[in-house]
Amino acid sequence: MIDLSALYIQRALLEMLLLAVPAGLLGSWIVLRRLAFFTHAVGTVSFPGLVLASAWGISPQLAALSAALGFGAAQERLVRTRRLAADAATGLLLVGALAAGVVLASDVYESGTEVDTLLFGSLIGLSATDLWLTALVAAAAVALDAALRRHWLGTGFEPGSARALGLRPVLADRLLLTGTAAAAVVALDAVGALLVTVVLVVPAATVRLLTDRLVRLQLGAIALAAAEGVGAVALADALNVGAGPALAVLGGALFAAVAGATALRARAVTA
Amino acid sequence: MTPGVVVRGLSGGYAPGRDALRDVWFAAEPGQIVGVLGPNGGGKTTLFRALLGELPIRHGELVLPGRPAYVPQTERARLDFPVSAFDVVLMGAYARTPWFRRVARGDRAAAHAALERVGLAGEARATFGALSGGQRQRVLIARALLQQAQVLLLDEPLSGVDGVSAARIAALFAELRNEGRTLLLATHDVRQASDWDRVLCLHNRQVDFGRPVAVLSPETLRETYGGELIVLEGGGRAVGVGHHAH
Repeated sequence: MIDLSALYIQRALLEMLLLAVPAGLLGSWIVLRRLAFFTHAVGTVSFPGLVLASAWGISPQLAALSAALGFGAAQERLVRTRRLAADAATGLLLVGALAAGVVLASDVYESGTEVDTLLFGSLIGLSATDLWLTALVAAAAVALDAALRRHWLGTGFEPGSARALGLRPVLADRLLLTGTAAAAVVALDAVGALLVTVVLVVPAATVRLLTDRLVRLQLGAIALAAAEGVGAVALADALNVGAGPALAVLGGALFAAVAGATALRARAVTA
Repeated sequence: MTPGVVVRGLSGGYAPGRDALRDVWFAAEPGQIVGVLGPNGGGKTTLFRALLGELPIRHGELVLPGRPAYVPQTERARLDFPVSAFDVVLMGAYARTPWFRRVARGDRAAAHAALERVGLAGEARATFGALSGGQRQRVLIARALLQQAQVLLLDEPLSGVDGVSAARIAALFAELRNEGRTLLLATHDVRQASDWDRVLCLHNRQVDFGRPVAVLSPETLRETYGGELIVLEGGGRAVGVGHHAH
């Protein structure tokens, strides 16, 4: 049974509930705008930054955010000057960052068992600052969604008409990527560098299988991310495993179940 | 009288130092439908981008009565997006709705009226991607109606639509013409263009502009389409053109 009186459990639960807000609001746009690979890459490229932050004693969030912004700038430059497709540039940078992180962790700083925590997260030892940062990103996600949802909707639906509709597609998309990067950075505590998509993609992708309406998708994704987060903390505490892997197993299993059920239902309807 | 669309000596393009379109001169009055003919890559969409203010213009000038509305081809839209027909039409009111406000009640009523006008009042709640190609095209036209623009730019509006939708769209075009709106319709169908008020032929430059009976000669069409042209001699007229692939 989960010990709700323990401070680390309280903080872990609060962290997961706060993360559910960007997971539902921004996660829905990540799924609709096909940014899942970008989101995965933003998490992964933070790995070498986290190793350096740990070795040098600097803020991990600052290091991760710097890595994410550097990734965005490098990707744009690669696409612009080398004529690489965006997903190819993302893949290239992702592999490079992972390799650099492994070399730094194993051969330069000999981080040892800490690598597991950096890659897969740990909710033990969350500080009040971590929670405040996540709350700040959650509030920013609400503000961004309120201010830009029409831009994201119109641009995502048919980009060629966006400016004719009075929208600002370039600015709105840059802010979506920035918001996604910030959400990925605060999710690192919970799920680590490799499992950011478990928070920011899987709940929204699961609810997307069940609804054709944006508001229902966002509210459903928030609720599901919160439920999966609480379930993952309980599972991690009971089985003494990391919260990130526990969340990945829960989210993946639920997605598979919903995908299977909707496929069976669709087959029954067409039969 | 307010001008419809006046284009004087337009040249411009995205690539530095290279014009995708040059030397375009024409004037379309309010209440006129202009067919814009040309091969793939001939400058039809580039002209629309220029009229929408999205193309770097190097020479010439444009006169427009406000921001035009643009109706894309339906296959450019994401059919898997979680939006209803009504949601799509409401996008036409985004430009005049502050970000912190809901779309105004009057605009919502106007969106329903626009859907009714294109014969889709009963499909307002239907998911856009679940509609037929012709119905989707009519929804996008309804969105343009909600923009309340005097000038409508329509990219292949009758391409691939079913007969019912084509008839409804053609009737709507006639109504819009009677309201004094100016319509520019990009098309590959020479026969369609012959029914409209003016025809503009483009092949990276203006080949010709004028009344269909004067412009749609086999010589002009050959100059416009080059190798893409398939001329079927029916009653001494060119009636068919090459395919359009995206």
